[in-house]
Amino acid sequence: MTLSVQDVTVTYGGKVAVDHVDLEVADGEVVAVVGESGCGKTSLARALLGLLPSNAEVSGRGVLRSNRHPDLDLGALTDWRGIRGRRIGIVPQGAMSGLSPIHRIEAQLREMLTLHGGNSEPTDLLERVGLSAGELGSYAHQLSGGQRQRVAIALTLAGDPDLLIADEPTTGLDAVVQGKILKLISSLGISTLIVSHDLTGLLPYADRIAVMYAGRLAEVVPVAALQQGRHHPYTAGLLAATPSTNRTIPWASIPGSAPAIGDLPEGCRFAPRCPIAVDECHTVRPPLRVLGDSEVACHRMDVASNATYPAVPRATSACGTPVLTMTGIHHTYRSRSRTTTALDGVDLDVGRGEIIGLVGESGSGKSTLARIALGLIRPTQGRVSLGDDEVTGARSRRLRSLQRRVGFVHQDPYDSLHPGMKVWSLIAEPLVIARVARGERDAKVRAALASAGLPESLLDRFPGQLSGGQRQRVSIARALVNDPELVVADEASSMLDVSTRGGIATTLRSVATERGLAVVFVTHDMGEAIQSCDRIVVLRHGKVVDKGDCAQISTSPEHEYTAQLLAASHH
Amino acid sequence: MSAIQTSAPAATPAARRGRLTYLGGRILEYLGVLFVALTLNFLLPRALPGGPLKLFGSPESLARLTAEERAQIATEYGFGDPIHLQFLDYLKSVVTLDLGTSLSDGREVTAAIADALPWTLLLVGTSIVATTLIGITLGVIGGMRRREGKGAFTLIGAIVVDSIPQFWLAMLLIVWFGVKWQIAPTFGATGPDGTTVAGLAEHLVLPVATLTITGIGYIFMYTRSSMLSVLTSEPVQHAHARGIPRGRLVRRHVLRPALLPVHTLIMLDIGFLAAGAIVVETVFAYPGLGRLTFGAIAARDYPLMQGTFLVLTLMVVLMNLLADLTYPLLDPRARTGANQ
Amino acid sequence: MSAPATSPPVVARDRRRDLLGRQGRVGAVLLSLIVGTAAYGFFILPDDAGKARVGLPYERPSGANPLGTDDLGRDLLDQLLVGAGTSLTLAFIVAAVTTVLAAVIGGLAGIGPRWLSSIIMRGIDVMLVLPELVLFILAATFLGQSFGIRAAILAVILWPVPARVLRAAVLTTWSRAHVEAARAMGAGQSWLLARHASYLLGPLLVPVFVRTAMRVIIYDATLSFLGLGDPTVPSWGTTLYWVQVNGVFLSDAWLWWAGPPGVAITLTVVSLALIGTSIEDRLNPNLQESR
Repeated sequence: MTLSVQDVTVTYGGKVAVDHVDLEVADGEVVAVVGESGCGKTSLARALLGLLPSNAEVSGRGVLRSNRHPDLDLGALTDWRGIRGRRIGIVPQGAMSGLSPIHRIEAQLREMLTLHGGNSEPTDLLERVGLSAGELGSYAHQLSGGQRQRVAIALTLAGDPDLLIADEPTTGLDAVVQGKILKLISSLGISTLIVSHDLTGLLPYADRIAVMYAGRLAEVVPVAALQQGRHHPYTAGLLAATPSTNRTIPWASIPGSAPAIGDLPEGCRFAPRCPIAVDECHTVRPPLRVLGDSEVACHRMDVASNATYPAVPRATSACGTPVLTMTGIHHTYRSRSRTTTALDGVDLDVGRGEIIGLVGESGSGKSTLARIALGLIRPTQGRVSLGDDEVTGARSRRLRSLQRRVGFVHQDPYDSLHPGMKVWSLIAEPLVIARVARGERDAKVRAALASAGLPESLLDRFPGQLSGGQRQRVSIARALVNDPELVVADEASSMLDVSTRGGIATTLRSVATERGLAVVFVTHDMGEAIQSCDRIVVLRHGKVVDKGDCAQISTSPEHEYTAQLLAASHH
Repeated sequence: MSAIQTSAPAATPAARRGRLTYLGGRILEYLGVLFVALTLNFLLPRALPGGPLKLFGSPESLARLTAEERAQIATEYGFGDPIHLQFLDYLKSVVTLDLGTSLSDGREVTAAIADALPWTLLLVGTSIVATTLIGITLGVIGGMRRREGKGAFTLIGAIVVDSIPQFWLAMLLIVWFGVKWQIAPTFGATGPDGTTVAGLAEHLVLPVATLTITGIGYIFMYTRSSMLSVLTSEPVQHAHARGIPRGRLVRRHVLRPALLPVHTLIMLDIGFLAAGAIVVETVFAYPGLGRLTFGAIAARDYPLMQGTFLVLTLMVVLMNLLADLTYPLLDPRARTGANQ
Repeated sequence: MSAPATSPPVVARDRRRDLLGRQGRVGAVLLSLIVGTAAYGFFILPDDAGKARVGLPYERPSGANPLGTDDLGRDLLDQLLVGAGTSLTLAFIVAAVTTVLAAVIGGLAGIGPRWLSSIIMRGIDVMLVLPELVLFILAATFLGQSFGIRAAILAVILWPVPARVLRAAVLTTWSRAHVEAARAMGAGQSWLLARHASYLLGPLLVPVFVRTAMRVIIYDATLSFLGLGDPTVPSWGTTLYWVQVNGVFLSDAWLWWAGPPGVAITLTVVSLALIGTSIEDRLNPNLQESR
């Protein structure tokens, strides 16, 4: 046993973030701590590293054992010298990787080696993480995201630690790269604790999964046992909420959202959202009990297999007349030193009641294409029409009147709503701009609110009082309020918790069906696209590499890149 | 970031070309700015009241000339010519450093400036060194202290010191240190023994003190806030999480990124300081460029005005360019043209 | 499928509204005291206060003249009080004009067509190269020293720096998600400015205003000290000019003659600085939110 976490509790000013958690990591084992925003997983990781902010209080024990050093109680440590970097290594969040921007890679590696007394050479460390010695002379900004993360791992290995703690190591990395990094981490043979929100992504690489919800452990289960057997309803929900690229497996979502840190319910914290909750669940806290190979904290394990969640529906009718037609779109960005081609000859069309998925990784040009469809960018070449009207040639007033027929759901729920406006005003804004008569506005706002699946009690609130999922629904209501013909949703669910993403897709689907709306659904997640769209267009480096029916693409993609994306999107 | 790409080391010919074009572009920009400044300088005396001949003599002496004599001078010096020819003549004169003759004392403008410039450089140079050393040290300490929750008083102190008017502080220093306690001389640059090191140093004390005291506030605050933002940045947080001890962390990972913007600030400051020293030089009767400029304006000495204005502008452009050129030497991100 | 109503966390409505911290409040109190003094000087004191001879020259402070008299027998306390009005009026008027200029020009440079933006930025680059103090001296010497001219020159020379800052702010604002969303809704420029940009940029105008006012006070005092101010109106800088000219600091009189005006200038600038820095501190994290 390398790490033994015993009854650890973390509170911030009286509010409990981590609630009496017990966890073990065996020698060489990879344990993933998985949960959504606010579940306490990051606080737990930081507590083990002694990196909590000063207003945090920690209790409990965290014992680090190895056959090279005496046992160490992390909770009792005041002097972390010689521990961090040497006995416990940290792998930081993906994209920037916390590398020093002004030192060469070699210098940073040597620094860690000198500090922690490792025997290896920088070249050895680079080899272990799959990089060539040629990168020694580079600076961090010259490397790609994946390469930087590998260097970060190499820096961690320099001290030959007994335990690795990885905090969201794949954030900001592209899908294909994510898998490679996780594979690297799991192949190092060091006891590892990976903290992540991506349950299905970790399944191929972890040995055991610990699922956390609202500060407590819901379930601790070996990966092998995860595919069969009964599970905590939340775990089942998380698994179902990850969209599969296999269209026969439905994509579900868990209604509601996780409780805020100061506002935790009595009894089982998941009860308000649980489909099989009974009275006991709302009053009595379920203890973590052994069940076969796993430990589960649930009162209702006898009927756990009945836990089902609402699934995202598919299209029911055939698609109608074309609403949006884009032909031969070229777009180049010109800056001082260089010219970048964002889009190179792209065609796209959407019909009434149809949801088309625009899939690509970062840099593929999908966001640019979305903004061209919205009239926010004028393409350097090509033609965009909304119904019979041409958008590309239109200027100022004419363009703006065309834009009023299109709704936009922005990626960022936190920044896309004016913080000083109440929900009613936010939703009504398009009506004000379109000069709809005052008397009609209220009815339209309420109708849009209902279509977006929000209760009227929220009309009087400010965005700061809403959760991410609720904000995104306000965004959707705003996009619908003026009866548009087309809605462009640009990565509408990528910044939301996994369990709520399906809900957004469901809302978009029902709106498309009810109102005959055409929807452009931009995403980087192939699984999402296959589950919620009718047709898919795959973009890469500004070119269309594949397009077709969802069913067809998921089973027989034409292009190799599409196949890569499908594979990377974890089953 | 798309699929994994190989890194681009700085030594590829493409990267070198990119750097050179960038540098070339910047130099061209500065030449452009300089050109516009020269044009303004050219137009300046012509825009001021007094007729074109004011460049050659004071109003009284001009009044004594007859109309024919005035016309003669005008043609001789090309005032009848179209304006663009006059401009070319002006440019020629600038390049050959023939900046005319001072109306006040008949000296060559170039000579007058050459006499005054070293004094200003001495004054400005010394105070920049003092300001930088003190300001940066205090700023670094202030930034580190703030992380631990102390140091609000130093910030208020810096704000107060930054708000003191230079000329008033100069007067106060003269009263206390010059008159009352007789510690240092209060005017001029050299003592009665001529140009001795001790004499120079003595006479520098009060002017440098004035410039330094009023200058450290700003440098302190800027350094402090730069330190704060670097201390809370991701790379530093992670270096700390990797177990790098505090002292080494600050020396290797915090200081240089934090001081980079301060370096740019100081270079620009030097450029502006020559003009900014006008007040101090006037109060302490220090024979530098600032005092020369002020005197020229007060005496309506147009040739001298034009000359000093030119030098002051040149200094700013030069320091700007230097700041741009030296920055990539210190920041690897700027060296290789990273776009992130 | 509708999401059930969950009780949202009780979050304070946008903490940015609390723009002044303790530091800023101290500054605000100090400033209001000074403004009060200026108002007193403006409205209560007789018109010739500070200009009329009320006693013997060079008198020490006494009951009748709490700060003594100057070389012409004029009351120094009156000069101090009237000077407050002079400095503050000039500072606020110029700050207002400069802020508007900087906002308009910086705004145009931010959202206008490329060519306009280029021209404006080049123009600012050139103006920033020219030495400010020298330009002020030139203007004061050749164009006159009346209030209007001084105010105009100050505004013309001081707008470039804040214009650059505001242009950067406008560019950041334009990339904010809720502004982009409004543009996609077909909102016109005026709606975007009124509804969205004003919310984000409005608070920024305060530090611009405050910083400009600070610079005006110092520059105006400096010019007056150099003899380039308006000699007919009592002001802090002019009082110090007479100190210099009469060699007052060679005698005891410096304490009550040269001291108070300098202290007054310093306190005024400090109060403005406290307000300015505390607002800037609070606004910065908000500006960075837009990534």
